[in-house]
Amino acid sequence: MSSPSTRQRPPSSHNLVELVRRHHAERAPTALAVLKEAVERRGEVTDDDRRVAAERSGLPEAAVYGISTFYDDLLQPRGRRHIRVCTGTACFAACGGSHVQELTQALGLELGERTQDKSISLAETVCLGLCHSSPAVRDGDVIDAGSGVVRRVLAGASRPAVEPDWQSVLPDPVLVRPGDWSGLGRALRAMQPQELLEEVKAANLRGRGGAGFPAGSKWEFARAAVGDQKFIVANGDEGDPGSYIDKYLMERNPALLLEGMALAGYAVGASHGFVLCRSEYPLSKPALDAAIERARGDGLLGDHILGSAFSFDVTVIEGAGSYVVGEETALLACLQGLRGTVSARPPFPAQRGVHAMPTVVNNVETLCNVGFIASQGAQAYRELSPGATPGSKLVCFNERFLRPGVYETRFGTTMRELCEELGGGLRDGRAIKALQIGGPLGGILPAALLDTPFDFDELDAVGCMVGHGGIVAFDDQTDMREVARHLLHFGAHESCGKCFPCRIGLKRAHEMFVSETPVDRARLETLLETLELGSLCAHGSGMPAPIRSLLTHFSQELGLA
Amino acid sequence: MIRVIVDGQAVEVEGGATVLEAVRLAGGSIPTLCFDDRQAPFGACRVCMVGVAGAPGPMPACTTPCRDGMEVDTCEPTARRVAGTVVELVLSELPEPPGAHTELAAVARAFGVTDSRWPGATHAPDHDERHPYLSLHHELCISCGRCVRACDEVQGAFALTATGRGFHANVTAGLDAGFLDSSCVSCGACADTCPTDAITEISLLSLVAPDSG
Amino acid sequence: MIDRFDSTVTTTCGYCGVGCRLDAHTSGGKIISISPAPDGPANQGHTCLKGRFAHQFSRSRDRLTAPLIREGGRLRPASWEEAIDRVVTGFSRIKTESGPDAIAGLASSRATNEDCYVMQRFMRAAIGTNNIDNCSRVCHSPTSFAMRRAFGLSGATGSFADIDRADAALLIGANATEGHPVAGARIKQAAMRGMQLVTIDPRRIELADYAVLHLSPRPGTNAAVLLGLAHVVLRDGYVDHDFVARRTDGFSEVEELVALYPPEVVEEISGVPAGDVETAARIYAQATEASILWGLGVTEHKYGSEVVRLICNLALMTGKVGRPGSALLPLRGQNNVQGSSDMGALPDTYTQYRSVEDEDVAREFEGRWGVRLSRTKGLTIPQMFDAAVDGRLKAMYIFGEDVAQTDPNTAHVVRALESLEFLVCQDIFETETTRYADVILPASAFLEKTGTFTNAERRIQLVRPAIAPPGDARTDFDIITSLSRQMGHDMGLATPEEAMGEIAALTPHFAGVTYERIGRRGLQWPVAADGTDSPMLYGERFELASERGQFGALPYKEPGDAADAEFPLILVTGRRLQHYNAGTMTRRTANLQLLASDWLEIHPDDAARLWVTDGQLISVRSRVGRIEIEAKVTDRIEPGHVFTAFHFPEVRTNLLIGSSADINTSCPEYKVVAVDVRPIAERPAFTPVLPEPALAPPN
Repeated sequence: MSSPSTRQRPPSSHNLVELVRRHHAERAPTALAVLKEAVERRGEVTDDDRRVAAERSGLPEAAVYGISTFYDDLLQPRGRRHIRVCTGTACFAACGGSHVQELTQALGLELGERTQDKSISLAETVCLGLCHSSPAVRDGDVIDAGSGVVRRVLAGASRPAVEPDWQSVLPDPVLVRPGDWSGLGRALRAMQPQELLEEVKAANLRGRGGAGFPAGSKWEFARAAVGDQKFIVANGDEGDPGSYIDKYLMERNPALLLEGMALAGYAVGASHGFVLCRSEYPLSKPALDAAIERARGDGLLGDHILGSAFSFDVTVIEGAGSYVVGEETALLACLQGLRGTVSARPPFPAQRGVHAMPTVVNNVETLCNVGFIASQGAQAYRELSPGATPGSKLVCFNERFLRPGVYETRFGTTMRELCEELGGGLRDGRAIKALQIGGPLGGILPAALLDTPFDFDELDAVGCMVGHGGIVAFDDQTDMREVARHLLHFGAHESCGKCFPCRIGLKRAHEMFVSETPVDRARLETLLETLELGSLCAHGSGMPAPIRSLLTHFSQELGLA
Repeated sequence: MIRVIVDGQAVEVEGGATVLEAVRLAGGSIPTLCFDDRQAPFGACRVCMVGVAGAPGPMPACTTPCRDGMEVDTCEPTARRVAGTVVELVLSELPEPPGAHTELAAVARAFGVTDSRWPGATHAPDHDERHPYLSLHHELCISCGRCVRACDEVQGAFALTATGRGFHANVTAGLDAGFLDSSCVSCGACADTCPTDAITEISLLSLVAPDSG
Repeated sequence: MIDRFDSTVTTTCGYCGVGCRLDAHTSGGKIISISPAPDGPANQGHTCLKGRFAHQFSRSRDRLTAPLIREGGRLRPASWEEAIDRVVTGFSRIKTESGPDAIAGLASSRATNEDCYVMQRFMRAAIGTNNIDNCSRVCHSPTSFAMRRAFGLSGATGSFADIDRADAALLIGANATEGHPVAGARIKQAAMRGMQLVTIDPRRIELADYAVLHLSPRPGTNAAVLLGLAHVVLRDGYVDHDFVARRTDGFSEVEELVALYPPEVVEEISGVPAGDVETAARIYAQATEASILWGLGVTEHKYGSEVVRLICNLALMTGKVGRPGSALLPLRGQNNVQGSSDMGALPDTYTQYRSVEDEDVAREFEGRWGVRLSRTKGLTIPQMFDAAVDGRLKAMYIFGEDVAQTDPNTAHVVRALESLEFLVCQDIFETETTRYADVILPASAFLEKTGTFTNAERRIQLVRPAIAPPGDARTDFDIITSLSRQMGHDMGLATPEEAMGEIAALTPHFAGVTYERIGRRGLQWPVAADGTDSPMLYGERFELASERGQFGALPYKEPGDAADAEFPLILVTGRRLQHYNAGTMTRRTANLQLLASDWLEIHPDDAARLWVTDGQLISVRSRVGRIEIEAKVTDRIEPGHVFTAFHFPEVRTNLLIGSSADINTSCPEYKVVAVDVRPIAERPAFTPVLPEPALAPPN
């Protein structure tokens, strides 16, 4: 008999996704897309824009309001000239944030403000992916970086920063070679979807986005899941400050990503893919869209690829400024134009993803490995990094290094080798005080531990992680209390606000470091434990890692009580 | 059916049941803030943390599915400590203590939490009392999402939404112009589920319970 | 738990037929708040703005708190003794002078089962007439009539829970999110979860936005649409022949009949595109489990009861009845429409719809009540008014009904009331009807009484008093049993619970009903002597002598009214979310702040043609009356149709409704009224020149 406990309860809140699905089927744009158009056109989002977005997207007005208050891009008012200053960790490591101060003072604007006449606006952004040339400032559509950037911006003479080329230590590069679609060709000719799936599993391809989850397992779940449709989503929301690896992949080698997505689609039975890239990388979407056009023209995307029965196409969607959207459930929410908040799992995306259909979410770099596995086989892939995690890995270095840039390397190389042989050590004769590896949720490695090998388990053992592969060096002049403050500011600002520990805890942790009074270590430890063990996603549970590293290795600098 | 052991007592639950359901079936109770029987589990408040044998850390009871042979400890010290700290943090964001009759106050009492070790920024008072029956006091909102989900999953009026992010997360009706100017159908499901009186009935605003001892 | 309230009483909502269980919280002798009971079986911890908030009427300053009697043309307060004496004297005199059949009573579909039971016993045993009816006459009597003929029992075949279990559902003539908000919310959620919903309504109701398909038939053409659905089901091989053969009679006639209604013909009659008829039929037929829900948009028509039969036909031919998820669920309008009729507050039946002409049944009641009972059917509500105007009916006892506002052809009703020698009204407020009363007895609201209501899924649920009646007002049960005693028929029933004991003893379907067994979960009748209830009917057999479901081969017929040159638009009436029926209760609450006045919905094309603008005051004229109302221009309504509600006495929509009614049950045709609409500023003589559609010149 009926009772509240037998009320038909969905496994998760699904009505907004259902509305999105229904309206998508009728080619309605997402609410987020309409709001983004509005802000591009008008410089801000008004209630009229929200009503139009509700009308066009089919979402309720309230939901649209909620979306419009979530994303940085929709919240920051824009003047005719919109200046976005990067406050990422590499920019912080480069100059301690002095570029921000210089700009606010010279413009007479605080971050997030616009002049009364709407001529100029100033906003914060994290991060522009020019960590090799910090500090970076985006002036309208031009991203300038490096010394003198503030002067150039103020003089109205911004110029596009130059990106260093990427390199590989491998004789036959996997990731920095241009994608040639040979893996897809081979798979469609010679492999059943299940065989491809087995090959990826045998290759033990681990996710490159942070968690290191085996890609083959995700695919297997999605392949087994029941759904009218299935989707492949490439997570191009490389929000980790200090990382610009996926940016390089999407902008320089988009075909490799598209091939990987098509292969994933073939293996799991998906006919459509989405790439979610960042609005902070304005060049990514155009590069991907152009590559998609080319691939369609070459019969590599679209219906009956290479004359086979397999059809697959890709849509590129740009985010709107939110770090947590890199988390897979938040990513799916953003992709569907909803608030980019995290959802509890289960249900996993492999069961309920885009439009509540089974969905594989893989990081961009992860997918870029699939073409090699398909063309060369699992064995060849495993041999790329002997005795370590299979495959190769892209790493990148921040501006403090002598030779910053993106490098393809083997797993198992020590951090010292990476920093010295690839990065060339620090510039200006500075010494490494510490490294933050893999983004803001990664621990901080003191110089004394530089001989730690670059690999999942080894870094984990010293409280660090591979993460995205971004390597940010803090030089010997860095104030580590400032590092804590910088990281916690970022953590609190980017918390999606869904789970209580992260929503309130990161704010309180930041307040502890901002306060003039010494930080009570016991209270801080309690807070960190609650964040680590209580948070819903890796943002809240990961933010304590660098703080713990600082407590372990630099406690004397933190102003503890 | 799956067999789960809750605090030493074995119970049989259906596949797909959550740990929270198993605990309740075993006659136990776990404090919750964002959970409502009428809604899908949300997993936001993290107050329902329990110990699960073999798990790397405390698990939220409301969103964790039961596995056969799972052993659940509702009094596991780490889980209780984490959950208690969360309650402390929640109290710290309110400019005034929650009314004694509210669910939040009851949960705080269950954890013996009366104050917070982390005083800090609180939410600024902001009231919508234009509706004849419903009031929304934004500063009392703890972003549990229950009102938004009640409006979505129970009534289907979609008049409420979560707003902002991080510490500034809150809820609002329609385009933030209040209940009267939204698609609200005045069913009151939001007021019914709100654990803090952030949304309540106008008629109850002045009705205060005697304080707990 | 720290509580703010003096007391909390769980009771059952007195508004619509969903039957929400409510927790009424009091402070200082007043209801201060109402919340949904978490374990309410029909509402599952939810309720709407009426049940939750519209309770302030119970302490409204204009509540009747003392009996009123007419003296020198004016009403004055009186003591209960005086008032009851006046009633007894009045009824006794007329009974002596003109016989018991010169007196008629109306029970209320808002009152409890026990109130309705003692009311019909009062009329039958104390007065001696079968002239007893209730307001289900004007809403769902066609449903009751048709379902009894098709299946055997007068009630939903399943439960609201079937909405959650259905793969598809047809919702016909019911704007559930406004009329039955909690059921509407449940339907919407089911549709969002993937239940294939088809809405059929002249208006694009809110649920149409969540449906996979919406059909807008011309008002009065539901029969054609249902025959068309049956046609496609038959033509495309979706008939469950095994079910039809094993469990039904009369299919061959239906086969012949529906052959005449291919979708193209249906399109011609109803305006519903043929393709949509096909799609709707397939959605219903292909679903493993599919339910049909309907409201007054089906019943309040000249052939309303026949349309209900056609609905039953559709379920019978596809075998979609008597299974979880495959239910026929009429959405009952008032809280106790089901119960008031179950209790025998009808001119032709005792409890459980047993005929007053049935000798055995009459003897059973005579045995229990100790009086001789009439074997002659009494008058239905419309017949009562006719008889009053004719002078055959001299007195009425109207309990909890505002017939002068809610019944059709208001002018005729008022004439009837004026013609009566003696009118007794029992109500909680003065109403349009009480203006004609000789005695007004102050009664109690649902929050003040004990008893039971039976909801739209046949669930008998307890009603408990949260507060006392105001002033000298008394419970209806108390008033009716006292009157009966004074009339010389002491029922010997001290409490409603004792009345339920008598009902159970006299009514097989209530055999096992006790308050204790009803408890917090209710009982869905039939209830066996051991207390086993029936969430689902007809799983194995239909409750007819043949035990087989009966098809009805009923063709489409034109509605009682049609648009013509003088009255070119069709008016449909219905409900608004914020108000309830005559508005007697809801207009005395802050719901009035949420919706203060009514409007007439009109399509932009019609509005443009008639020079009507949004928000303008307009005149609406029918063959029998005229009202003035504000226009609301909206494309939710089809061209050619207009819509308004009937909650506001200042509008008095029912002045427009004529005397057309269901042929079997006299349920008025509220849903098809030809009207003329024009801006009020125009002189009545002026007819706007309507642009004719451009026609091709003849060859």
